[in-house]
Amino acid sequence: MLRAYLCAYLFFLFAPIAMIVLFSFNDSPALTFPIEAYSLRWYETLLSKPDFVASLVNSLKVGIYTSIVTTILGTLAALALIRMKGRYRQFFEWLNFAPVGLPGLFLGISLVTLFGLIGLQRSLLTVTIGHVLFTLPFFVEAMRSRVNYFDPSLEEAARDLGATQFQAYRRVTIPILLPTIVGSAILTFSLSFDELIITVFVSGNDTTLPMFIWSMMRRTVDPSINAASVMALVLSILVMAAGGASLWFQRRWAVAARHE
Amino acid sequence: MSALVDSKSDEVDIAKRRVALALPSGFGLGLPPLAFLLLFFVLPVILLFLVSFLTARSFVIEYVWSTDNYTRIFASTSFWLATWVGLKNGFYTAFFSVVLSFPVAYYLVYRTKSNLILYLVLLSWFSSYLVRVYAWRTILGTNGVINSFLMSSGIIDEPLQVILFSPFASVLTLIHIMVPFSLLILVSALRDVKQDYLDAARDLGASKLAVLTKVILPMAYKGVVGSFMFTYILAAGDYITPQLLGGREGVTSGLLIANQFRSAGNWPLGSAMAFVMMATFVAVYFAFTLLLRILNLAPGRRYHE
Repeated sequence: MLRAYLCAYLFFLFAPIAMIVLFSFNDSPALTFPIEAYSLRWYETLLSKPDFVASLVNSLKVGIYTSIVTTILGTLAALALIRMKGRYRQFFEWLNFAPVGLPGLFLGISLVTLFGLIGLQRSLLTVTIGHVLFTLPFFVEAMRSRVNYFDPSLEEAARDLGATQFQAYRRVTIPILLPTIVGSAILTFSLSFDELIITVFVSGNDTTLPMFIWSMMRRTVDPSINAASVMALVLSILVMAAGGASLWFQRRWAVAARHE
Repeated sequence: MSALVDSKSDEVDIAKRRVALALPSGFGLGLPPLAFLLLFFVLPVILLFLVSFLTARSFVIEYVWSTDNYTRIFASTSFWLATWVGLKNGFYTAFFSVVLSFPVAYYLVYRTKSNLILYLVLLSWFSSYLVRVYAWRTILGTNGVINSFLMSSGIIDEPLQVILFSPFASVLTLIHIMVPFSLLILVSALRDVKQDYLDAARDLGASKLAVLTKVILPMAYKGVVGSFMFTYILAAGDYITPQLLGGREGVTSGLLIANQFRSAGNWPLGSAMAFVMMATFVAVYFAFTLLLRILNLAPGRRYHE
């Protein structure tokens, strides 16, 4: 019975998404079953719109900037957490996690207030700042379980063997944490690529892909929204798959190196 | 041999290095993320709070301190109605997400070794938020899948108008969006309740139901409440889904606040609304956990010591 329930649960999760994928290939603009003919016309319509292509490029850019900044800040935070103890550690953990505990709306309006008061023009830079704030807690949280099991004596051993602090990071700590860092960086990209709630407030004239889809949804019932959604979906899945594959290869290389 | 001779000076050296190692106790490394969070999280929230005591006239913030915004909000029926809608959205979403996900979390932790389903759920978590809102609009809409199915099978003659653009549509979509999130939190909570405890309870003659209510639920209580709390706060504060699916009855305070910052342009009023909304959510949340404690549904501290 549990199995049957599980199937129903997965059906609830995936049926609506599968339906959008099917409709995106529907030749007719009607959103009803059965689908009589399949075509790529909605994709062609979309790709011929310069606004759409620009928003897609912007989203990729912001995703990459965000992953870089979040990875640097998040890794530093994780390295710091390894060393911190007691109250300071609790406070720092809390501070790193707190932004997720607030609705995105709250973060968005706080940021736009700050930008407004200091006179920072809204642009892809402000979007990136918003996304870093939104993704950092997830990054640190994903690192935390690994960090909790990290043995600081490994680093001390490296230092005792004559490594400088920087060398100890580069040759010991970072390689041990690397698979988690890569995984978390990919998570960051996916989160940023999909983020809308904060972006609505902090974006200027350059829209991102979710912003583009959102404004399409508010204006009309346009079947090319299906196609745009599917493209957003496929890109996220590709990024996740690339991340999974890189982790898998890393593990294989590590195993192969040990056997030599 | 020479190592033995030098051992004393080596020890001194190591001791020195230990001191050097102890010094960068993480604060140096933590400084950049700390600075980022102070500058772009703590400072903006403080500024937002300060701005909520200012006034605005025709899109321009005037630096006149007053509590007018708050008195205006407390007197506004439409704000409280919208907050009530948001609270209901949050409560229903959190309740159903946790209840629907719990059996799945149980299956994933105790009944299977495969991670496939967990990966599938993660995948659906990453499939865009908007795509899912749009999917439900397609399903529930006037010319949507449900209506055209019902009409073609002759059950109804006219499309049902009530399903789309109602609080029901918002909640259904929010559940769909939050379910993977609550599942992940529940899975990590159940992972802490080791199989051994379950086996021990069964050996001592506990029924399956007793294992669930006397062992699993009390021990995973924090995780279950955490899962509830996150989905509750996120769903109650959401404004995109109510805007796109909620219709006129589905306006939430989140949407009112978003409008103050987007179209109407009264930032101070919007900020004050945001703080009132957050305070209400937190107060309701605490009232809820207090109720659980009074009804004696919450376990004592002993399980977590």
